[in-house]
Amino acid sequence: MSTTTSTQAAPSTRRPLRYYQIGSHLFITVMLLLSLIPTYLLITWSFKNGLQYRWERWAISFPLRWRNYAAAWDIVGDYMINTIIVAIIGLMGMLLLSLIGGYVFARMDFPFRETLYYAIIALLMVPWVLSFIPAYMVYVRLGLLNTRLAMIIPELAGGPIFGIFLMRAFIAGIPEELFESARCDGAGVLDLIGRITLPLSLPGLATLAVLNFIGVWNSFLWPLVMIQDDEKQMIAVGLYKLARSATYGGVAGWTSQDFSVWGPLYAGYVIASLPLVLLFIVLGKFYVEGLVDSGLKV
Amino acid sequence: MTEGTESLEQGNKADAGRTIPARSREFSTWQAMRRSWQAYALLAPIFILLLIFNYYPPILGLLRAFYRWRPGVEASFVGLQHFGVYFTSPETPRELFNMFKLLAFFFFSGAVIPFIMAVLIFRIRDTESKELYRLFLIIPMLVPLIVVILLWKQIYDPNLGVINGLLEQFGVGFLARNWLGDTATALYAIMFMGFPWVSGVGTLIYLGGLGQISESIFDACEVDGCTGLRRTLQIDLPLVLGQVRLMTILAVIAGVTSFQTILVLTDGGPGFATMVPGLTMFHKAFRTQQFGYAASIGMVLFVITFAATLAVNRTVHPAVEDVRH
Repeated sequence: MSTTTSTQAAPSTRRPLRYYQIGSHLFITVMLLLSLIPTYLLITWSFKNGLQYRWERWAISFPLRWRNYAAAWDIVGDYMINTIIVAIIGLMGMLLLSLIGGYVFARMDFPFRETLYYAIIALLMVPWVLSFIPAYMVYVRLGLLNTRLAMIIPELAGGPIFGIFLMRAFIAGIPEELFESARCDGAGVLDLIGRITLPLSLPGLATLAVLNFIGVWNSFLWPLVMIQDDEKQMIAVGLYKLARSATYGGVAGWTSQDFSVWGPLYAGYVIASLPLVLLFIVLGKFYVEGLVDSGLKV
Repeated sequence: MTEGTESLEQGNKADAGRTIPARSREFSTWQAMRRSWQAYALLAPIFILLLIFNYYPPILGLLRAFYRWRPGVEASFVGLQHFGVYFTSPETPRELFNMFKLLAFFFFSGAVIPFIMAVLIFRIRDTESKELYRLFLIIPMLVPLIVVILLWKQIYDPNLGVINGLLEQFGVGFLARNWLGDTATALYAIMFMGFPWVSGVGTLIYLGGLGQISESIFDACEVDGCTGLRRTLQIDLPLVLGQVRLMTILAVIAGVTSFQTILVLTDGGPGFATMVPGLTMFHKAFRTQQFGYAASIGMVLFVITFAATLAVNRTVHPAVEDVRH
């Protein structure tokens, strides 16, 4: 307390923590800058030609080679469209089932309700390593190997597990009077879900949608083993294969000593990040909630 | 289970589940179920999908761990043979050791470091910089995971990588090496990926937890002169133990089951230097078609994660806010 310089007119009980605060600011800034290095490298490399990539690893090279992005779209565009189609179809179904399930468990009273609910929630405890191998065999048996349906079904069937958990809590918070008055007006279950619950649970659905979209966008091992045709491949596996052929030679006539392939490849990585960036810009709060919930989902 | 009868009920639906006269208990349950046909009908599609794609596979996996199993061939029972083979194979101790090393490290990088970062950010007084820091925490998470892994692979590259480039620039080029290709460094290079491990879901989850602690507690502890490290250990930590528990469980699950990063960076190599049981499971299934064997490794990993999760849940108990005046 002796070094109090009273620069701030803070309440007297508060110690001036200025030095401590400056230290914190510095430490946090350094940590954040360090964690941004890969993102910085990604963006700078995406604008380089072969020689610039070889010799100027850290600096931004001018003129920026926008042409890389046109070349990149040619190689990642199809993967992205595949993934977006799969994600949107799966999302629609997943959101619908989660909404219905959430409503039924939150608002309807029927025998074995809690038993059925916990039967669903228990699936959250099943780690994916246990079901990865047998799920592959089940999908093969059902003739789903190398089909887009094999990418949609996990989202459609598995998504509602966490979805129902989230939506039940959300829908339980809607005031009962709204449902009561609609029932008096003769609304059936489907009206109650579609006209009352749906518009009021959009924030929950948005979180769920973001969470699942990030999941589909990042899904790697499943499409790696399920999808064989390059035309049906998902973005994460597509990028992995492109990176391999940039290193070892392979598709698109790339050879391993040709440094000019790296610029477009990194531009492809940036393009592949854009949907997530866009999602964050449009649905910022829900994006963060989705990220946090993905932790809770385990 | 009751879908069949429910479709017959559509005729006399009348009014769905209001007051049921209390008669014999079994009878009224059955009647209540018949009256609630709508609820069951709405849940039917969900349960049909779950039964086929989410209940059946893990159960099948637990059974087929005891079978020789591959696509298109009749599965044959082999008893405990897979487990015997796995636990006596010369690579197994190494990969289990790697797994525990990774698990311990993930606890540090996923549960400890984010806690420190969150406490520091939480105590920043200036709300604007606080928001800015939060934003910068999120930016690296806008890049798909596979891109992050591929970028780090490039960062470690022996010829083009920036780490070796930096070492040469600072005149210590003799330290440069093939980080992922060297038995001595490969596993540590995998751990180092994502340095400084602050921008992840963990920091956000801890920040959320700290934000829920009521202001009066901090005021009270400031009056008592409890600040700095003491406050961190005696106030912040006990009150976010729920989050600590979650992050610890996540670290355990990541350490035991996640092998995507290793698959992309080293594929278990060089030799078996970075092999983990999960990756062995993947290789056995998709490279040598030993699906039964792979299922048995999956079962072992399930038992490990289950036991570890249970242990963490039993030992870590979150404190409850309780201010006495």
